[in-house]
Amino acid sequence: MPDAYTLRHRQRRADWLLQEIDDALKRRPDPSEDELEQLARETGVPVAALRGVISSFADFAVEPAAFRICRGTSCFLSRGSETIHIHSSHALAHAIACAGYCDRAPAFLDPDGEVHTASRSRPRHALPDLRVMGREPLLLARLLRGDHARLDQARAAGVYAALARALERPPAEVLRAVEESGIRGRGGAGFPTGTKWRACAEAPGPLRWVVANGDEGDPGSFIDRVLLEHDPHAVLEGMLLCGYAVGARRGIVYIRSEYPSAREVMRRAVADARAAGLIGRDVLGSGFTFEIDVISGHGSYVCGEETAMLNAIEGRRGEVRLRPPFPAQAGLFGCPTVINNVETLANIPVIVERGADAYRRFGTPQSAGTKTICLNNAFARPGIVEVEFGVSLAEVIDEAGGGRNGDALEMILMGGPMGSLLPADEWDVPICYGAMRERGLKLGHGGLVGIPRGTDARRLLEHLLEFMVAESCGKCVPCRLGSRRGRTLVAQLGANGESRAEFTRLLRVIEAGSLCAFGQHMVDPMRRLVELKGDEIFAGACAR
Amino acid sequence: MSEATASIDGRTVAVRDGQTILQAARQAGIQIPTLCYLEGLRPEGGCRVCLVQLDGSPRPVAACHTPLRPGMRVATRNEELFALRRDILSLYLQDGKLNAYHRDHRDSEFTRLLEDHGLAAPRLDPARAGARLDQSHPYMRFQPALCINCRRCVAACDEVQGQFVYSMAERGPFTHLIYGRDGHFLHSPCVACGACVDRCPTGAISDRDRLRGEAPERVVESVCGYCGVGCRIAVAARDSRVLSITGVAAAAVNRGHLCVKGRYAHAYHHSPERLTQPLLRTDDGFKPIRWEEALRVLVDRLRGVRERHGAQALGVFTSSRSTNEATYLLQKLFRTVIGTNNVDCCARVCHSSTALALQQVTGTGAATAAYEDIDRCGCILLAGANPTEAHPVVGARLKQAVLRGARLIVADPRRIELADYADVHLQLKPGANVALFNALAWVLFDEGLVDAAYAAERLEGFAELQQFLARHALTDFTSTAGVEPQQVRAAARILGAGGPVLFVHGLGLSELTQGTASVKALCNLGMLTGSIGRPGGGMLPLRGQNNVQGSADMGSMPNQLTGYQPVGDPEVRRHVESIWGELPPAEPGLTIPEMLTAAVHGRIRALWIQGEDIAQSDPFQQHVRNALSKLEFLVVQELFMTETARYAHLVLPAAGALEQDGTFTNGERRIQRVRAAVPPPGEARPDWLVARDVARAFGRDWDYPHPGAVMDEIARVAPRLFGGVRYDRLGADGLQWPCPSVDHPGTPQVHQAAFLRGRGQLSVTEPLANPEHDVAGFPYTLITGRVLNHYNVGTMTRRTPQSELTDADRLEIHPDDAAREGLKDNDRVRICSTWGCTHVTVRLSPRVSPGTFFLPFHFPETATNQLIGPHADPDSKCPQYKVTAVRLSPPVEEPRGEIAAEAVAAPDRPSNGDAHPGPAAREAERNLAGART
Repeated sequence: MPDAYTLRHRQRRADWLLQEIDDALKRRPDPSEDELEQLARETGVPVAALRGVISSFADFAVEPAAFRICRGTSCFLSRGSETIHIHSSHALAHAIACAGYCDRAPAFLDPDGEVHTASRSRPRHALPDLRVMGREPLLLARLLRGDHARLDQARAAGVYAALARALERPPAEVLRAVEESGIRGRGGAGFPTGTKWRACAEAPGPLRWVVANGDEGDPGSFIDRVLLEHDPHAVLEGMLLCGYAVGARRGIVYIRSEYPSAREVMRRAVADARAAGLIGRDVLGSGFTFEIDVISGHGSYVCGEETAMLNAIEGRRGEVRLRPPFPAQAGLFGCPTVINNVETLANIPVIVERGADAYRRFGTPQSAGTKTICLNNAFARPGIVEVEFGVSLAEVIDEAGGGRNGDALEMILMGGPMGSLLPADEWDVPICYGAMRERGLKLGHGGLVGIPRGTDARRLLEHLLEFMVAESCGKCVPCRLGSRRGRTLVAQLGANGESRAEFTRLLRVIEAGSLCAFGQHMVDPMRRLVELKGDEIFAGACAR
Repeated sequence: MSEATASIDGRTVAVRDGQTILQAARQAGIQIPTLCYLEGLRPEGGCRVCLVQLDGSPRPVAACHTPLRPGMRVATRNEELFALRRDILSLYLQDGKLNAYHRDHRDSEFTRLLEDHGLAAPRLDPARAGARLDQSHPYMRFQPALCINCRRCVAACDEVQGQFVYSMAERGPFTHLIYGRDGHFLHSPCVACGACVDRCPTGAISDRDRLRGEAPERVVESVCGYCGVGCRIAVAARDSRVLSITGVAAAAVNRGHLCVKGRYAHAYHHSPERLTQPLLRTDDGFKPIRWEEALRVLVDRLRGVRERHGAQALGVFTSSRSTNEATYLLQKLFRTVIGTNNVDCCARVCHSSTALALQQVTGTGAATAAYEDIDRCGCILLAGANPTEAHPVVGARLKQAVLRGARLIVADPRRIELADYADVHLQLKPGANVALFNALAWVLFDEGLVDAAYAAERLEGFAELQQFLARHALTDFTSTAGVEPQQVRAAARILGAGGPVLFVHGLGLSELTQGTASVKALCNLGMLTGSIGRPGGGMLPLRGQNNVQGSADMGSMPNQLTGYQPVGDPEVRRHVESIWGELPPAEPGLTIPEMLTAAVHGRIRALWIQGEDIAQSDPFQQHVRNALSKLEFLVVQELFMTETARYAHLVLPAAGALEQDGTFTNGERRIQRVRAAVPPPGEARPDWLVARDVARAFGRDWDYPHPGAVMDEIARVAPRLFGGVRYDRLGADGLQWPCPSVDHPGTPQVHQAAFLRGRGQLSVTEPLANPEHDVAGFPYTLITGRVLNHYNVGTMTRRTPQSELTDADRLEIHPDDAAREGLKDNDRVRICSTWGCTHVTVRLSPRVSPGTFFLPFHFPETATNQLIGPHADPDSKCPQYKVTAVRLSPPVEEPRGEIAAEAVAAPDRPSNGDAHPGPAAREAERNLAGART
């Protein structure tokens, strides 16, 4: 269907529109109407659409000199207990969620993109504490030995060996191995990866794409940042294997702007790999051609949702698309597209290297392999634990030593703001997609944010609502207007005895009516919080 | 195998591929409430009002974008869904930013939906209402307080017009509609087609002419009186006033779509400048007289001239804005009562080359394809036409076809809007079409892209064309055309890719000294690609005026009677005489330019000019005015006191497009019913009645009680084309001729089985030098043409708010040329050709190439046609408006006054001080005088 971008796409522009806009706005921040019209002519996008896309990404409204202060859940919970010192001459500050340093919160990025954290024990550039629960590490094996960002280090440690061997065999073998491995997407939805790949491989079309989803927006998760920064070639190898398996010739690593260092490391990794003949024409002399571009996000949580990400890559507003069609059928620029999370892709070389059967021996029948669990600084031992599926949540929390400073944790927010809120008596559940789904729980991307006893429940609810208001894409009415309505209701608590019932009803409307998982799932932790702590939250109303 | 089924509300429905739950439900008569969804536009999926329940689904799904799959069990209405929809709708009302609805809009689709769900629409807070109201545009208004951000307007603008005016800004609860650069319609790319207005569910975007809330007394369906597209319109009227116009949604031609002129520019009907009484020239100027007297004067004077100078001293120019019936009767009046074939219409000065070429090539001088072919074509060649401005509804349809994937090649010296969408833009030297099309044909042969089977079966002249092209190198043609051979090859490969090609062209081909050859060379491409007669392909010339096709069809041509029947053919004459009872001479009459030249020399003494302002519209303006001033008797039938009417001895007040009954025939040969929505003002009368009554005054018993009776006679006179045309058969969408019998359904695609003339005629077209190229001292080439906001010489549109949108003609000049000439935007400059001079305001535009200017002719003070010389196509006599050598110089006097004096020369002062017809002009005049059709 024609829209404002059809003309630009017809002209087959090679540049990435958001990058063009970003460059133009860096040259000329706060452009006049005439300058915007000029930019519209240069980019081939009508001026209203250009204004629309610029205003839909938070970064374009941010002064380049601004500090970016993390307002993720971990940092939110840490405020007050830790102090961040920002030089007084830099008064500009912009809130982001999240910087991916939940293990040493709170954190902020300075105008150069350098991260600063509150932790004195762990230097800001150091890897998080990495641990393993299970027979052996599949994903973190290399990282346990340290950083492998450099190509020579990575190759010495075996990266690209699986690719080299795979390229000697037909693509169908890679596809079959991934299907038979039983791996599910690690980004949150847990969709079988092989099914996705098969759908893309069999969809008609002259061009296919592979997109690595490096928009790890869930506050509480930081494994993707760690992989992108310290093991980027594993991700690239996974993409190359995917491209080979599904018949794609082009790939994109989409990395959120809140991870500037990951973006730089990955750009370097792609350049190095290209120079080494691992990316580009005729990969390793096999005849397989695969190009990879690194694209930056521009400040939007919803762009972690795969269709919103496709829109952002195409230079559109970061709004979700209607499905069907699914990206595997009609994704980027209408072409069949595989979008996989970074952690999923980093698992692919392991599967290809070891074989599907060997991989499937890890984990449970419904959830093969291992999952990384990120632990924030509310735990005694924050960091990343690679667990074999089937290990229980309680065991992981025990392994982490429970709450920091011996304080009891009252609840766990698992899987970010769209995940599940679990009080202590619900922790005895195996980490497994099947078992968790049966209990209505969502593992999400596997981030665990411990919520210490004594946390102000109403403030936590307001925090979640603020996040929803700030990050809703605005496409559908229940999420667009319901988020603000929810915030208003909570702000007015105490004045209205009906608030609790009305708020609960509103959550039901948002959940039942919203177009995508953001609205459908954002309400889950909020509803649970009201169930668990309603009396505290609505105390004002009851005391009326 | 039994077909797959699903169940909706317990009813079993068939599952059709690609159908959504909503579509299937509607087909089964189950109504699901919707808000952001609108049939025909992409689903937005945003309002969530159409949520339905699916067995096995954890939460409701939106019916508008969820495909119905076999075995699905859908529930569309129950208390739970009703409550959910109501709760979603109440979010709009609870939201602080949007709590206001105007009393006038209580009946909007949105407020009705609220009320259906037990919610009351609140009132607009007057204090807030005015805050950000956009009233910048004369026709459209935006009230942000009413907007619910449903995005229907965004989809309509994208998918109906293709203008991309709207977008959404910000995100989350702050998401809101934006348009253009700054929230003013007037500063936006909006072309005011009204597609968004028609679809807005709240009235946030509305027509200013509809805001008064006057209820119409009647709504009359008719056909637009502007260009030749022939959009069907619904005219809302009260008393004798037109309130508003909307497109007819079911219309085959326009499917509800209109352009700014068709939708909004109707105010001229009620202009105080309308002529309301017959006017007789006296020594004291024009004097109002009664119709009886006017008819008596008319008959006496025409009779007198005929008695003194013979029938061949009289002539008539019929109006291409009038109805078929009026044109038929007026040409019949002159052919029978007066006894002359001196009958012509404005097609002479626009598409006569097209009609002649198509007739010689295919057997009929009209489009071979229909507008519906735009939707099914895979490839379009657009040549010498700027449809997004001059034929906007077809322009939008072409743009949509291209946006949906059709290939597009544009051959035009200007970078017109559609060139932005083209796969290849061949920016040829103005007037060099023959060389360009020969080059394309050359590559088709060279690269084996000719449809040989089609050629062998259906064409003649193949070997001659092949040999002609083989005698040349590609560069012979491309260097003449001023294009790169590689570009021509790229374009030819697209044309020759195998699918039928739709060839859309305009006056940029026909209004040239090689106009007929240009169209024939284009037809060569139509035949070499095997496109003519195939669905989705063929020739689709865009006709200029609403009934210019009909004018020629009706016989307003000096050489052909009604239905293109040769005036000298004995068989035709016998047939026509049996109906008319009398006949004109067997020899063809004079064309318009010939009649004017004859008038200068005293051979034409009396003219009847119906609804054409030739003193402004026709080329070589000095000559035209000279001719008019020499006439013994000139009668002009007009809406307004035009430049031409000032020369008249008798002026008859005419009825406008919305004030008359009859039929118009559009550019795809579609005859559609026209109905009066309002009465003409004062004593103004429809044209057909005047022609009838003059014949009666001459003593003929012309008994046509209604225009339908005229059509019945037309069907008898020209049965091959119109034999089956009856008013009672012209249902909603009319009939496309040929329609030879009453059981014939009409013909969208002509020449499907075979060419009407037998075989399609390929033509050898040698590029000839253009007399306006390489004229010493005149380094620039002027192209004249039209802009969106005005129509023809602006008689109608200048008397509407269109003048607020475009208030003057501007000379478009490339920035490089402007720099060389030291000109900037809005500078005044004197522009001269070898034929005349005028003063204009310049506008810098990269859409013209360096060395080329563009100038419209909509405003009389521009006097554009003073610059145009007497050159014409030798066969069609179509004047060359499109190529004129010009030069620029500083303005010589206080510009405005001088221009007015130059342009509006009164009849008693006909000579133009600034005109300087030299030897070349005199020679050209001799050529015109000697020319025969």
